[in-house]
Amino acid sequence: MGKMLKCLTVTFVLALVCASASARTKLVALPERDATIIRLDNPAHTLVEEERVLTLQKGENQIDFSWKGVHIDPDSIRILILSHPTKVRLISVSYPPGEDALVWNIYSDGAWEETVRISYLLTGIDRLIEYKAPTAKDESKLDLNSFLVLRNFSGEDFMSAKVILNYGEAFEKGIQHEETKRMLFLSSKDLPIRKVFTFDAATLPWDPEKVPENVGIPVTYEIKNSAEVGLGKFGLWDGKARIYQDDGHGSTIFLGEDRTPFVPVGEKMKLYIGDSRDIVVTQRKMREERTNITRNKNNQIVLFDTDEVLSIKIENFKDKDAVLTLIEHIPGQWEIVKCPRKYELDDAYALKFEIPVKARDKVEFSMHYQRKNVRP
Amino acid sequence: MRHSVLNRILAVTVVCLAVASPALAKVDLVTLPAGKRIQLTIYNSADLTLARDLRELTMKKGENVLQFSWAGTLIDPTSLDMMPKRFGDKIDIFDITYPPRVRNLGLWNIRSGVSGSVPVEITYFTSGLSWRAFYLGTLSNDEKVMDLEGYVRVSNQSGEDYPDAETRLIVGKIHILDQIAELAQREFPYGRPFPPEILARPAAVPTEELAVRRERAREAVGLVAAAKPKEIKKEGLSEYFLYTIEGTETIADGWSKRLPSFKTRGVPVTNLYKYEEDRYGENVVRFLSFKNDKEHKLGDTPIPDGVIKVFRTVDEQAHLSYTGQAGFKYIPVDEDVELNLGAAPDVRVKPKLMKYATANYAFDRKGNIDGLDEITTFKVEVENFRDIPVRVEVTRNFPNQYFELEKSGDLGKFEKVDMDTVKFTLDLKPNSKREFEYTHTQYHGTRQDRSASRS
Repeated sequence: MGKMLKCLTVTFVLALVCASASARTKLVALPERDATIIRLDNPAHTLVEEERVLTLQKGENQIDFSWKGVHIDPDSIRILILSHPTKVRLISVSYPPGEDALVWNIYSDGAWEETVRISYLLTGIDRLIEYKAPTAKDESKLDLNSFLVLRNFSGEDFMSAKVILNYGEAFEKGIQHEETKRMLFLSSKDLPIRKVFTFDAATLPWDPEKVPENVGIPVTYEIKNSAEVGLGKFGLWDGKARIYQDDGHGSTIFLGEDRTPFVPVGEKMKLYIGDSRDIVVTQRKMREERTNITRNKNNQIVLFDTDEVLSIKIENFKDKDAVLTLIEHIPGQWEIVKCPRKYELDDAYALKFEIPVKARDKVEFSMHYQRKNVRP
Repeated sequence: MRHSVLNRILAVTVVCLAVASPALAKVDLVTLPAGKRIQLTIYNSADLTLARDLRELTMKKGENVLQFSWAGTLIDPTSLDMMPKRFGDKIDIFDITYPPRVRNLGLWNIRSGVSGSVPVEITYFTSGLSWRAFYLGTLSNDEKVMDLEGYVRVSNQSGEDYPDAETRLIVGKIHILDQIAELAQREFPYGRPFPPEILARPAAVPTEELAVRRERAREAVGLVAAAKPKEIKKEGLSEYFLYTIEGTETIADGWSKRLPSFKTRGVPVTNLYKYEEDRYGENVVRFLSFKNDKEHKLGDTPIPDGVIKVFRTVDEQAHLSYTGQAGFKYIPVDEDVELNLGAAPDVRVKPKLMKYATANYAFDRKGNIDGLDEITTFKVEVENFRDIPVRVEVTRNFPNQYFELEKSGDLGKFEKVDMDTVKFTLDLKPNSKREFEYTHTQYHGTRQDRSASRS
């Protein structure tokens, strides 16, 4: 039995008998909780809607609703009269002292069974999303299994409830207080993935030889949330993803795990699985000269340009081809003098290169650029 | 049997004149008749309630002493007043005395020209009663209209039950010098020439007594059988609005009551998503706006400040989804209302600096830089991940008024908000994206003169 079920009592007060305690003539059996909905579409607040059949007397009826040990926002509690919306009226709501409870004062034009829907915001019940993604041995595709973890620490037992998210289909599930349930929510097979190695010059060491440990190049899988791959129906919720790989021997290895943010339709889910030590990037500043120097009357430099050359070497020690995303940063105002590779601007100060490197091969190039109007 | 409030608070006793020493003269006690009518006017901007109690007192011709006591209450003794409602010209109220070494007691000295029953009205301030407004909003599925329900919640923590009281609520900001709760707890009504001692509030009610009180109040709730919710009459008085609850209300100590204040169906609302880094950071914030006027099916009275919880109807069976909540300030008639429902993850605005340059350096006589132009190009992506159309306002703030702006792309409606703020308003279809660019030239130092002289 749910706690709230225990706590919902209906008291009838005969309208005409009004002198004293004897006016409370009848205390009826507790109504059963019918259709219950737990709506988890708002990540911060869970809305519960439950229907109950009240046996109303003609005249005034008092209905106690209490939630001891359950965190309900009292201002959020609503009651909707479903069977006789014009003949049954909510007169007032009273809150007793020192209790988590309220008393609905309901007036009914007749004696009948009335279905009401009670809704409230309930704290302590929420959902998490987890992903489990086995990858093919060649890392070309993966299966994305999305699990819903339902945690109920609300103080309230739900024997059976329809659980609704803004994600996939609703389902029926009972969940008791302090119970956690994990269920497979959706499974998308053979989603094409792109394996991306990323070297960001702002965060990784430029010369691996000068560093005592190996420099790992972060590796991510990218999965597009779009219809052409079989997704794209809704945004993918944020959650933890564990990635496995088929080892070719009928088993799997665990590749790593990452936390993905919410991925709207059309965007890519990027899962960082770990660092590669088989791709090595070395870059060196080969020139940095000041040009076009402007001085003031005291011969102090007030403005200058620079002329800079960066040399970049990417080595692939793997026996498979790889594509490296290389991010270079040039602050302020700048111009490229010469660069043999195509790039895209991530923003005004970040240049993004996509550089394919064949298996057991290397790529080398230089980037010649000038920074303009630099002030000391 | 429940105490009537004044039976306990104001033990009004008429003491015979013949006895000279009034404080000790508890002779010839007259049974206090039940109160005829009690009216409560509860303020929400201060912990203050004006109570007005109408009584029939039996007086003797000549001098009468009326003894009042208010132990265990939160009454301000300095506010106690009494007014005869009949025989006004025949009854003189000399004074009220707060006798020494007796706490929570006052003696009224009255000379009566009549013998018999005299109706009097006793007024006083008390603390511990309060009210607040709150609201429930239910959006239609397309979010174009909202059903707006206003409620008032009246709470009684005064230590006393108020049965069958005419209840009135004041909307407005009152100026008071002293806290009524503090005045109520002074050892001496007007203090003494050095700082008063503040005494503790009345002791908390033991739990077992709560159950008894609950039963008592339930009886009281049952006293009035109403077939429909009570109406709340609203009228303007000076700078206040007065809400009068139809009939009488019983508000037992410790209880509070929620009463419907108004319900308006189908208020047209505008959904607006705003992006302004200076105010909201990197989040897009969702707003719901309407106006307190006839066009929006409102506008009869101001709307008291409060918190609104907004839901959305998701299907034909009127199932709900929770959207969010917002607090709002007092809304005068004809004023716009803008409810801030918080960060919206399903609408995204991403302004990105794509190019930075400086130009037109100016130098002073010493050869130092004293002016330049800073030219930045931003690309702004606006995305709607919702399945309904939305309107998005992208506001950009610049350091000062010395700038020029070139715009391109799908930028919607452009507006200069003030000298250093501009706004782009875009309507987005469900699940769609729009993108625009602007190049902003900011003039610094002596280059500002150039910009100023040009305009």
